[in-house]
Amino acid sequence: MSDVKDEPREEGRRLSRRELLKKAGAGAAAAGAAGAAAPFSFAGPMRFKNRFLKGDLSIIQWVHFVPAYDDWFDNTWVKQWGEKNDVQVNVEHINNTLLDTRAAAEVAAQSGHDLFFNLHPMASYEDQVINHAPIIKEIERKVGKYGPLAKASTYNPKTKKYFAVSDNYVPDPVVWRHDLWNGIGEAPFTWDHVRKAAPKLKAIGHPIGIGQSQELDSNMALLAFMMCFGSFVQSDANRPTLNSKNTIQAVNFMADIYKNGEDPAIFGWNPASNNNYLYAGTASMILNAISATRTPEAQNLPFSKDLWIWPIPHGPHGRLGLEHVMGCYNIWKFSQNKENAQQFLVDLCVNYKQATMASQLYNFPSFPGAFPFKQIRKAAAADKNKPNGKYTILTTIAEKYTHNIGYPGTTNAAMDEVFSKYLIPQMFAQVSQGKMSAADSVKSINSQVKDIYAKWRARGKI
Amino acid sequence: MSAVAAVGRSRRTRLRYITERRGFLATLLISPAVLFILALVGVPLVLAVYLSFTDAQAGSLTGKWVGLANFRHAVHDPIFRGALWHTFLFTVISQVVVILCAGLIAHAFIRKFRGRWALRFFILLPWAAPIALTAIGFLWFYDPQASIFNWFLIKLHIVSASHVPNWLGTPKAAMSSIITVQAWRTIPFAVVIFLAGISSIPQEVDDAAAIDGATGLRKFWYVSLPLQLPIAMVAILFGIVFTATDMIVPFILTNGGPFNSTQVLTTYAFQTGINAGNIGEGAAVALFMLPVLALVVIGMLVFARRAEVT
Amino acid sequence: MKSGWRYNAFSYGVAIPFAIVLAFPFFWMAVTSFKPEAQVYDPTKVWSFHPTLANYGFLFHHTDYLRWIRNSCFVGLMVVLITLLVALPAGYALARLSGRVGRSMGVGIFLTYLVPPTLLFLPLSRVIAQYLHLSDRLWALIVVYPSFTIPFAIWLLMGFFKTIPQELEDAALIDGCSRLGSLVRIVFPISIPGILTVVIFTFSLVVNEFVYAITFISSSTNRTLTVGVPTDLIRGDLFNWPGIMAAILIPSIPLALVYNAFLNRFIAGFTGGAFR
Repeated sequence: MSDVKDEPREEGRRLSRRELLKKAGAGAAAAGAAGAAAPFSFAGPMRFKNRFLKGDLSIIQWVHFVPAYDDWFDNTWVKQWGEKNDVQVNVEHINNTLLDTRAAAEVAAQSGHDLFFNLHPMASYEDQVINHAPIIKEIERKVGKYGPLAKASTYNPKTKKYFAVSDNYVPDPVVWRHDLWNGIGEAPFTWDHVRKAAPKLKAIGHPIGIGQSQELDSNMALLAFMMCFGSFVQSDANRPTLNSKNTIQAVNFMADIYKNGEDPAIFGWNPASNNNYLYAGTASMILNAISATRTPEAQNLPFSKDLWIWPIPHGPHGRLGLEHVMGCYNIWKFSQNKENAQQFLVDLCVNYKQATMASQLYNFPSFPGAFPFKQIRKAAAADKNKPNGKYTILTTIAEKYTHNIGYPGTTNAAMDEVFSKYLIPQMFAQVSQGKMSAADSVKSINSQVKDIYAKWRARGKI
Repeated sequence: MSAVAAVGRSRRTRLRYITERRGFLATLLISPAVLFILALVGVPLVLAVYLSFTDAQAGSLTGKWVGLANFRHAVHDPIFRGALWHTFLFTVISQVVVILCAGLIAHAFIRKFRGRWALRFFILLPWAAPIALTAIGFLWFYDPQASIFNWFLIKLHIVSASHVPNWLGTPKAAMSSIITVQAWRTIPFAVVIFLAGISSIPQEVDDAAAIDGATGLRKFWYVSLPLQLPIAMVAILFGIVFTATDMIVPFILTNGGPFNSTQVLTTYAFQTGINAGNIGEGAAVALFMLPVLALVVIGMLVFARRAEVT
Repeated sequence: MKSGWRYNAFSYGVAIPFAIVLAFPFFWMAVTSFKPEAQVYDPTKVWSFHPTLANYGFLFHHTDYLRWIRNSCFVGLMVVLITLLVALPAGYALARLSGRVGRSMGVGIFLTYLVPPTLLFLPLSRVIAQYLHLSDRLWALIVVYPSFTIPFAIWLLMGFFKTIPQELEDAALIDGCSRLGSLVRIVFPISIPGILTVVIFTFSLVVNEFVYAITFISSSTNRTLTVGVPTDLIRGDLFNWPGIMAAILIPSIPLALVYNAFLNRFIAGFTGGAFR
């Protein structure tokens, strides 16, 4: 065949048919070995098997914290979908911290991947993407309503536009060392309990590990912590409400926990640090997704059986948590293969049960109908790791205690900017390190927040 | 036949004549370089300047004109003012360290001695290794749990195990960490430049100085140092420019933290322009340095020319 | 005769401590790279020596590491070629033929470095993608990198050509050589040390670059070394420290060896190497 596309180009993005099938063979073996995706095969016969594929689709997404997911995605799901739909799919993975850079570059270049994935809904890119409403409607027809959490994260009520489709979110529990807490006779039911236990835990060499650094985990943990105290960055009308008594109380409370029960190391962390703190056996409690328990299981660390998963502790205002990350796909206005991209998203979300299982329950479907909570709970109960049934709490957390960033408002560009500038960790850290009083810190950060909101309101986005 | 040959010959000589003319040849030789730089540096620079006067967002290369609003906003931004100060500290302190150390090392390496090749190899390593990778390596060296520096400090009883310095987590320590890494990786570069400079001092100068009775420190101060000033100036200039415009070390080590105490202009421009999607503001921050650096560069070059000894 | 024991003491007294301080991180990298991954955080096993080649094996067999090295080398060599082609004539012209203009051009060269790539990459990515259609190809880097290697190379060569006395060329001209001919036949052979210098510095600038490499290249097979390591060896939560240490060591040692070897020629170039 003199078809020019059939040449294996070293630098090109396209795989030749030979390479695609070779990878498929390896992938099938890997899938079999991994076992996670084995029982589930893609519904329907492969229409274009062993034939060269006509259409194109390019996707970029993160390197998943759970390697098994990427194995399933690249070698099973994408391959089968491509064969069934006569589309050559090309998936790139990059480090999640670099996704923002690539997004900016692709928009500046007005050329890039058809499907762009990020771990937070890119509200500020609203003008660069299509309206994803038709895709969401299509999925809703098949599996039921878009989850309220996902809707609040990817919908702009002012412009009435869906600027992304969330395929998954990740519930954020506390991961704590049951043996250590038991030893001092405590448990993290409420933040008061945490505050009381902190000095005792630090005294036995196992401090608490909630970061106050300019990184994702600190951002999430502190935002969720604030909500438990009734402190919110914005109201349900998307107006800034940071400066409040509750915020000052929250900041002081965390400063107290730090002074008595944490290590100064928490100010210089990156997203992996709280995990490493735990894996080294030091931390007695961190706020993190279940990658923090899956790794100790995989590496057979001595205390992996003592790692318990609980919802975020109760605060004066209630028990409110955030999603750890929210996976969102968007389609650029300049994408070359919009139909393929849309079809891919629909199929992925409809069949999300496979994805959740492949990710070892890390990814929860944003369309709950694809994998109802009851079934997830059953799957979690079947998890072999001790203590038995510990992952079932994830469904409770997902159902009851997970909110979107910007709750009670929606996730919008202003909230996104507050998040990306790490203003909240800064607000806490300044006080914990004794650089200024809580009132001053909250006031100064609040003025920056108000500036940001004013700017985006002037653009008509909120 | 001969007429054709005659025409051909005269055309050739005409061509030769043109290439003999200094001005034309010079322009011809310089033009590829100029074109390259204009296309790949000049055009994007103009675009970046334009962007800094707009409210461009989220990767878009167009926006509404807002005049000096971005610059005004930056000046009122406490993080930006901090970034300005940190950039100054970061650049000046690291380069002073570099010049002093590199000058010393270069003088030690002038003459042959046994093991010179091996020692030079070790000294070249920090510059030979790609900085993006070694910066990640330093994340490991400064790791709060497993830092090898802390291990040494504890073993030497300089600090106790419960009070190890938090290299990347407290403002002063983080600042000194990024300064250290930047100096560490620039020293070999400066050493090489110094070695070239020292070697270019003709032997006659040495001999003349010896005849005049200037030896040791006196010779260094009155003879060697002034002769090395131009080359030192070059090392300083490139060091300053490369350090002030480079974002890799602070970006990888601290990402501006803890709470913006190591934020430098380049990382802040990146955070504002890319992470937060505020292209116009990011451009304004990045361009802020341009006039300052230009003044510094021109100032030093003028000073160097005045001090030139030849 | 100045090389007494005093001078040697000074040399050793300075060189050895600095060598230790500058190279120690690499020593520690080597130690870490031979540790099994599970022991890396164990405080009781800081210096335990149960060396394993598993991390190196992982690099070579389970990542595209070799390909990244190949890509970096390819980009480096091409950029060196382009830089030499453009900077040699320009450096010569500025050193010889332009007098006052040459000096202000020299200043102008510094000024091109004042523009940080932190934002330049945005407009450049439009150029690369839309006008040159080089998205995700190594050629995108090969086209862009000379923009910051050429100015430095020109400055280096300018300084270098100034040390070659005009008399050499004038002699050739008197002998009937054209100006271009004297350039090619007399000057360039003498300027080999200068050329080697440009090669070293250019290659090191290319290998150190990060921002453009991240922006223009996305697929794993086209990545260069600086991009591939943070992307594939850092799995979000997990840093594969031993693997990363190995990945840093492997290119650094040969590069340092090559630079060291070239250094003598480089210095000879500045020592008025025109005098045979």
